[in-house]
Amino acid sequence: MAARVPLGCEPVVGSLTPSRKKEYRVTNRLQEGKRPLYGVVFNFIDSRYFNVFATVGGNRVTVYQCLEGGVIAVLQSYIDEDKDESFYTVSWACNIDGSPFLVAGGINGVIRVIDAGKEKLHKSFVGHGDSVNEIRTQPLKPSLVLSASKDESVRLWNVHTGICILVFAGAGGHRNEVLSVDFHPTDIYRIASCGMDNTVKIWSMKEFWTYVEKSFTWTDLPSKFPTKYVQFPLLIASVHNNYVDCNRWLGDFILSKSVDNEILLWEPKMKEQSAGEGTSDVLQKYPVPECDIWFIKLSFDYHYKTAAIGNREGKIFVWEVQTSPPTLIAKLSHVQSKQPIRQTAMSFDGSTILSCCEDGTIWRWDVVATTF
Amino acid sequence: MPGIPLVARETTNYTCYCSYSTATDSMCRQDSATHLSAEEEIAAEESLSSYCKPVELYNILQRRAVRNPSFLQRCLQYKIQAKHKRRIQMTISVPATVSDESQVQNLFPLGVILAKPLSSAAAAEGHSAVYQFKRACMSTSFSGVDGINRAQAKFILPEMNKLSAEIRAGSLVILFVSFAELARDRGDISSFPLNLEGHCLLGRMPMELLHLLWDKSPNLSLGERAEMWSTVDLNPCFMKTSSLDKDRHISFEYPRSSAALATIQQLQVKIASEEAFARERTRYDSFSYDDIPSTSLARIIRLRTGNVVFNYMYYNNKLQRTEVTEDFTCPFCLVKCVSFKGLRYHLCSSHDLFKFEFWVNEEYQAVNVSVRSEMWRSEIVADGVDPKQQTFFFCSKPLRRREQPDLVQNSKHVHPLVLDSDFPSMNDLNGRTNGVADAVECDPSSSNGASVPSSGNLYTDPDSVQSASGSTLAPPALLQFAKSRKLSVERSDPRNRALLQKRQFFHSHRAQPMALEQVLSDRDSEDEVDDDVADLEDRRMLDDFVDVTKDEKQVMHLWNSFVRKQRVLADGHIPWACEAFSKLHGQRFAQAPATLCRCWRLFMMKLWNHGLVDARTINNCNLILEQFQNQDSDSTRS
Repeated sequence: MAARVPLGCEPVVGSLTPSRKKEYRVTNRLQEGKRPLYGVVFNFIDSRYFNVFATVGGNRVTVYQCLEGGVIAVLQSYIDEDKDESFYTVSWACNIDGSPFLVAGGINGVIRVIDAGKEKLHKSFVGHGDSVNEIRTQPLKPSLVLSASKDESVRLWNVHTGICILVFAGAGGHRNEVLSVDFHPTDIYRIASCGMDNTVKIWSMKEFWTYVEKSFTWTDLPSKFPTKYVQFPLLIASVHNNYVDCNRWLGDFILSKSVDNEILLWEPKMKEQSAGEGTSDVLQKYPVPECDIWFIKLSFDYHYKTAAIGNREGKIFVWEVQTSPPTLIAKLSHVQSKQPIRQTAMSFDGSTILSCCEDGTIWRWDVVATTF
Repeated sequence: MPGIPLVARETTNYTCYCSYSTATDSMCRQDSATHLSAEEEIAAEESLSSYCKPVELYNILQRRAVRNPSFLQRCLQYKIQAKHKRRIQMTISVPATVSDESQVQNLFPLGVILAKPLSSAAAAEGHSAVYQFKRACMSTSFSGVDGINRAQAKFILPEMNKLSAEIRAGSLVILFVSFAELARDRGDISSFPLNLEGHCLLGRMPMELLHLLWDKSPNLSLGERAEMWSTVDLNPCFMKTSSLDKDRHISFEYPRSSAALATIQQLQVKIASEEAFARERTRYDSFSYDDIPSTSLARIIRLRTGNVVFNYMYYNNKLQRTEVTEDFTCPFCLVKCVSFKGLRYHLCSSHDLFKFEFWVNEEYQAVNVSVRSEMWRSEIVADGVDPKQQTFFFCSKPLRRREQPDLVQNSKHVHPLVLDSDFPSMNDLNGRTNGVADAVECDPSSSNGASVPSSGNLYTDPDSVQSASGSTLAPPALLQFAKSRKLSVERSDPRNRALLQKRQFFHSHRAQPMALEQVLSDRDSEDEVDDDVADLEDRRMLDDFVDVTKDEKQVMHLWNSFVRKQRVLADGHIPWACEAFSKLHGQRFAQAPATLCRCWRLFMMKLWNHGLVDARTINNCNLILEQFQNQDSDSTRS
């Protein structure tokens, strides 16, 4: 689809020469355990906890706090009763009363909702037929959570009532594992998902929004809720030719990362009348070398100005995403960091970057100098 | 009964609302929560009114059933008729005291025969006699149980008035035949020998004697037992039996010599008679209510055999109303059901909008009635809902039958039911031997024929929990609790239920774990069609058409969703569907006659082209549309 691009419309490719706008230095290194860590995420849902982050690996979810001077303090740790559970993803959410929730999922396909305020398991969501690859929270309504699964479906849950509201799967759904999913930042009805079928799908839940509203007031058994299937996406974009393991909205544009060592910024163009048909316009390319294993995810600062992504060799690329041409702010490397970095996390202002590695270590990088 | 004013129910012999307050009254439960606030009382009244709808329904059904009674009702009717025939059961026993036991034992095997003399002339001569009989009772020996030595023969006789004439005519006689000598020659004789000749001892007892006995005891008709002792002289004679079909004859020849005529032995015989099946009736049955003080009335009501206490549970089974019916009468349709068993079958089969719990012990027969709430959705339409507007589904459920082995047995202990097997033999006897019944039952060893259970037995509706015996003492609240725990579980087969409880089940569409309640409900999610999603997809599919106008698409969509919701499947459904569709969307079409209505008419033409509708249907539809159009224009004008 993106094969033949008209003259003058080629995507802008970013240069891999760091601009050295910011420099980062390792300030802490923490060995959490022996098992690989797959997820690390700051709590951007609640401003009180912007310096709190969570990691997942093995059957363990751990909550830390980033303190001044590169100090990392352990706050809480939760261990799943199943020893064979391997969490792949974690996301911060929030009950309606404001107490912070941790929503984690992994190989078992059971989503655990942990009430971090009360330090106990709030709910467990059963429904996915296979492992859960990513969980994301709707920032506008932090009770809503999306999960992407190996069972080729995306589900929308209400963590407050424990209801599975919608299932995005079926005739127009993904044809292989769904690896990543994201809420549109402003359009509450819109989501994007991508996966091993090399496509990115954009879905709308506008027609089903009454069910989303109903889920907040549902008092009957969760299994009696009229869960709806959303079978047809608004747009199926084949911008990549390989597994797409991460996608994020950047305004109305989408940043998607494939195992072809690149991140694409593209604009989905949907036809209002006929759903399912539309085109995608690739705007920019962000090369990420040695990023050819699937399941390496992007992270952003709160304002989506910069993005950080690790690679197979333990290096981190920090891109300024909103400039054209894209500029590489920094390339972080350390002699001891040789293991693949599955996920990074950027702090609110981008001054701290955390990375979690296959060998069970957490690295903390802090900005040392800013040049203008 | 809620919903029916009490005065209107005079068909029942006697009904009353009463509340028993005896401490031992565990079955007739008290309204324990009598202190209710005003709000609670209103709520209670409301919950009581849930009886109204089913009762109304059953009244309608009953009126329909008057002409054409159900099978069960017809069967029960026969039983009632049979019951009204009074019969006399005569028991002849040969008791032996220890002193003469061996002497009497010598007479065995002994046959007791109720026979009709055939040749009266010969009998008068005294030398030979021929008798006709049908069945005989043989007693081979005393089989002593508990040291009581006696042989017993039972005969069922028709009503006294009928019998009297025959007895007066001397056409009935009881014969005692001792086969002792024969048995010595021929070995063991355990059943009555047929086509046999030999010497025996014969004793005769005329039936007049019995007549005397019955005359003496006027209470016989009230179910009392009359007894008398008699002595029978046994004379030696030569006996010959023959059997032709069912007509059996026995002839005797007496020895000519007068010496031999002398009585060889005397047999002490006890004759007892009582009205058959009178055990079912107690002395209270024959009393009228007029001369009984009201204080003991409640007790008597309970004691009468046909009286059944109905407890109507309401307000979450916290409260109850009580009603008593006579003669096992159903309180809903006032049908008499002969026995408690009959009533049980009737209630369960004819009034399944209610849930029944059956209790029986020596003193009471009670039925706890509650409204089956889960049946409401399908059976009874709420107020303000027009059933014609509803979509109907036909759900056929497999019949759930279950064996109820214990129930009949239990009830037998409490009040003997009329045994079915008795009836054919009685009927066929009536015709054959001029209303004389031969032996029906003969049990030489029955010393414990009518045993009375020491404790009351409880049994409930087969649907509900089977609780342990001796429950007369258990507080009813406990039982109720145990019952409520199994609420929805109770309807399915227990083995299936256990399987369903064993593992987690998931919804077939949503993959959500289901609660047990949902698993056991009759709803099946497999074939569910999600109308909203189907509508959405339909609209999306229609959107793909480029050569179709918006109005056409809308009509198409309306029709598609109508056809799906109403399950219009066959060609034959189309005419109905057209008319119903016109009615349903007439308003909408009337508002846009040039666009939507036109599309619909064109579509009907298409159907006509395919031969799916006829001209008449199209005419009907157009009339409907016209009507809506007129209404519409009227409303806009005004």
